[in-house]
Amino acid sequence: MMLKVLRHDGRPETAPHYDLFEIDAEPGMTVLGALFRAREVYDDSLAFRYSCRGAVCGSCAMLVNRYPALACRTQVAGLLAGEEREPLAPYPAIEGGEAWDARTTVLVEPLPHLPVLRDLVVDMAPFFAHYRAMRPTFAPADRAPERERLMAPETAGALEAYTACLLCGACYGACPVDGDDPAYAGPAALAKVYRFHLDSREAGDGRRLRTADTPHGWWRCEFHANCRRVCPRGIEPNVAIGRARAELTRRKKGGE
Amino acid sequence: MGARAEVHAHDLVIVGGGLTGLRAALQACRAGVATAVVSKVHPLRSHSVAAQGGINAALGNAPGYEEDTPEAHAFDTVKGSDYLADQDAVAVMCREAPAAVIELEHMGVVFSRTEEGTIAQRPFGGAGFPRTCYAADRTGHTILHTLYEQLMAADVAFYEEFFVTSLVTDGGRCTGCTALSVPPGEVHAFPAKAVLLATGGFGRLYSRSTNALINTGDGAALALRAGAMLKDMEFVQFHPTSLAGTNILITEGARGEGGILLNREGERFMARYAPHSLDLAPRDVVARAIETEVAEGRGFPGGYVHLDLTALGAGKIMARLPGIRQIALDFAGIDPVAEPLPVQPAQHYSMGGIAVDDGGRTGVPGLYAAGECACVSVHGANRLGGNSLLETVVFGRRAADGIIDAVNARARPDPGPAVEAAAADERRVAALLGREGEEKVPALLRDLKETMYRSFGIFREEQKMQDGLSTLTALRKHAAGASVGDRGRRFNQALVNLLELEDLLLVGETVARGALMRRESRGSHTRTDFPKRDDERYLRHTMAGLADGKVVISYAPVTIGTFEPQERVY
Ligand SMILES: Cc1cc2nc3c(=O)[nH]c(=O)nc-3n(C[C@H](O)[C@H](O)[C@H](O)COP(=O)(O)OP(=O)(O)OC[C@H]3O[C@@H](n4cnc5c(N)ncnc54)[C@H](O)[C@@H]3O)c2cc1C
Ligand code: SF4
Ligand code: FES
Repeated sequence: MMLKVLRHDGRPETAPHYDLFEIDAEPGMTVLGALFRAREVYDDSLAFRYSCRGAVCGSCAMLVNRYPALACRTQVAGLLAGEEREPLAPYPAIEGGEAWDARTTVLVEPLPHLPVLRDLVVDMAPFFAHYRAMRPTFAPADRAPERERLMAPETAGALEAYTACLLCGACYGACPVDGDDPAYAGPAALAKVYRFHLDSREAGDGRRLRTADTPHGWWRCEFHANCRRVCPRGIEPNVAIGRARAELTRRKKGGE
Repeated sequence: MGARAEVHAHDLVIVGGGLTGLRAALQACRAGVATAVVSKVHPLRSHSVAAQGGINAALGNAPGYEEDTPEAHAFDTVKGSDYLADQDAVAVMCREAPAAVIELEHMGVVFSRTEEGTIAQRPFGGAGFPRTCYAADRTGHTILHTLYEQLMAADVAFYEEFFVTSLVTDGGRCTGCTALSVPPGEVHAFPAKAVLLATGGFGRLYSRSTNALINTGDGAALALRAGAMLKDMEFVQFHPTSLAGTNILITEGARGEGGILLNREGERFMARYAPHSLDLAPRDVVARAIETEVAEGRGFPGGYVHLDLTALGAGKIMARLPGIRQIALDFAGIDPVAEPLPVQPAQHYSMGGIAVDDGGRTGVPGLYAAGECACVSVHGANRLGGNSLLETVVFGRRAADGIIDAVNARARPDPGPAVEAAAADERRVAALLGREGEEKVPALLRDLKETMYRSFGIFREEQKMQDGLSTLTALRKHAAGASVGDRGRRFNQALVNLLELEDLLLVGETVARGALMRRESRGSHTRTDFPKRDDERYLRHTMAGLADGKVVISYAPVTIGTFEPQERVY
């Protein structure tokens, strides 16, 4: 197989280019494995982030065949076999661009909407700035009791649907709105707000919902739902956003 | 480069942003200590995020097991350790466990719950009670993210993608460190009143490992070079169930929930090795059993056995082990609801580490360590599942408490030595980048890992280990001439890998020498030539120090408490 990788030295004055590496694709090889092989065999200056290699740390989100994904979780064989992926609502970063033959080649590019530091390594600072702006610190309603605060198993389960987020940024890179409007908080940060809103140990007074009750918060989402499609954890930020909006509307109507 | 190093002065520099580092940081900055967390990856990418099964505390929440106590927890831990743990440290950890877990809950951790709404607890290997608190099979993830969330509201400086290259000592005291800022590729100086190493384990010393790729033992190597001692390095835990091939962990929780191990003949072979606890015997026992099955031809070709979860049913698998199911689907193309998983043992945990007391103090004033990179020792010769997450939060906090008192009483050190050290490391980096040589880092790394797995793996024996040690010595010579292709500064991961290789080689030697000299079998250290535990000669800790660049082994006593050493039966 061929691995086609977007290379960039990170300096604004140099132009990016593509490098092609021929890789012996062993059974079970992941895109991350292929990148390591390219680095080992051909060019050890190829830069990409990694840590867990097991789809739990969120380091390795990138564009694989123009689809935001975790490189460590994506099998090369599946890509070459043309395995179906749910189509994305189109946006400039995944449209057009360099052509490649998907039957022989895996195309790897950095996650969109974030500045490139080098090759596949992007600056995650804007992404984390949005997250931080949501003040993602647990704020309980009451003083800490002696023991744990009680919580129904179902509530814990519902929260799990959001606490599982890796903060990998795949959804951010998949969101057509993020590409248009860097001020938009983006799916991951909004899903995080919703996680706190759902938490029965907090006041449940809508305070969390108001944190993102801004033109660049809940209301900026256009429901393309790419976030849900690409999320490696099955999180549905779009659902959280829809529910938050409905609830805010309800609360406002209620004369709050 | 002639430019002066950038200088970042803090009271406390914490190296590592895993559970240990973040718990300590929270404590220190809440006490007003100017604290920096320096980490070679973003804190949320730390290995801790991968912990699946849970964290131990005698809460007595499991129905029918209300009488669990910290003493029972301590007994299980000491027995599990094959009596090599220091019982005073174990007592501290088990006593503080319930409060530590409740505190995490108060910070917002979403633990899985019982019907009553309390924190749910599951059974884990080697424990007399269901004592392991969990968040589905994402316990480490949930706790790490929660601690990070807490730090979002605190005054702490994060230095991400800074690879710490040296500790700075001045008159025998640690007064900071230096670190390579990877994005621009330059070395910075971090003068500080105290440094806490929270750098995690060294799993990537082995070819088969469940660890993150970044677990390269840097902290142990840094401490050793700065004059601290390492303790019990030969005790390396092999987890019995990693996915064959990639060695991604399949949590012990899978067996806790009712998964069983089967050999090629479909036999539940644990009945022969641990008739009472069967599949939930401690890890060392189960790992040896699987290795033996494979060696005796009852494994599957490729060297694995089956972990069968099918009897649990889809509902239980989805509710309790969703991450395991996803891992199996993603990395093996197998759905555990319908099919058994291929599993084999892999390196999992470093019981040994930087020798510290229960306040995290090393032998070097101003230098502290906690978490997996340290050895208190609470795990002795074999760690029980769920005890290391506990160790990170208990001893991370305790180290910070000690440091808070110590730094408040001291003035900031002269930054001079840190600045000089940064300049020296800057020259070292330049020399490494300019080095011409045939030897390449990936090949050396592969040799090292395979040698370690072969010679210092689950079963050990004199001659194999001697051969392994000679290979290590040769590899160190080769590494001294290794070069990288990338001569640039920006995001030079080849350079980082070379620095990691140097650290792994040093750490590997301490494992090797400790293992060679311990002529007995205890916990994870199994010598086929000395199959019996020998309390007479080896109920003591192995200490490794550096003298003139050479690893030197000595011994230190074990602290025995109320639990007299007995033979372990499971
Ligand atoms: C797959 C898996 C599952 C596990 N599950 C459980 C479980 O269920 N229960 C349990 O109790 N234990 C479990 N463990 C063990 C437990 O996860 C670890 O022991 C624990 O998380 C270690 O935490 P730590 O904070 O000490 O180190 P880590 O989380 O490993 O963090 C180390 C930090 O140090 C930084 N660092 C390292 N070197 C440098 C350097 N040179 N410069 C700068 N920074 C550096 C890294 O960037 C990182 O931030 C598991 C282990 C594995 C492998
Ligand atoms: S919501 Fe999903 S895609 Fe988005 S950051 Fe979290 S894990 Fe990644
Ligand atoms: S390396 Fe951790 S998610 Fe891919």
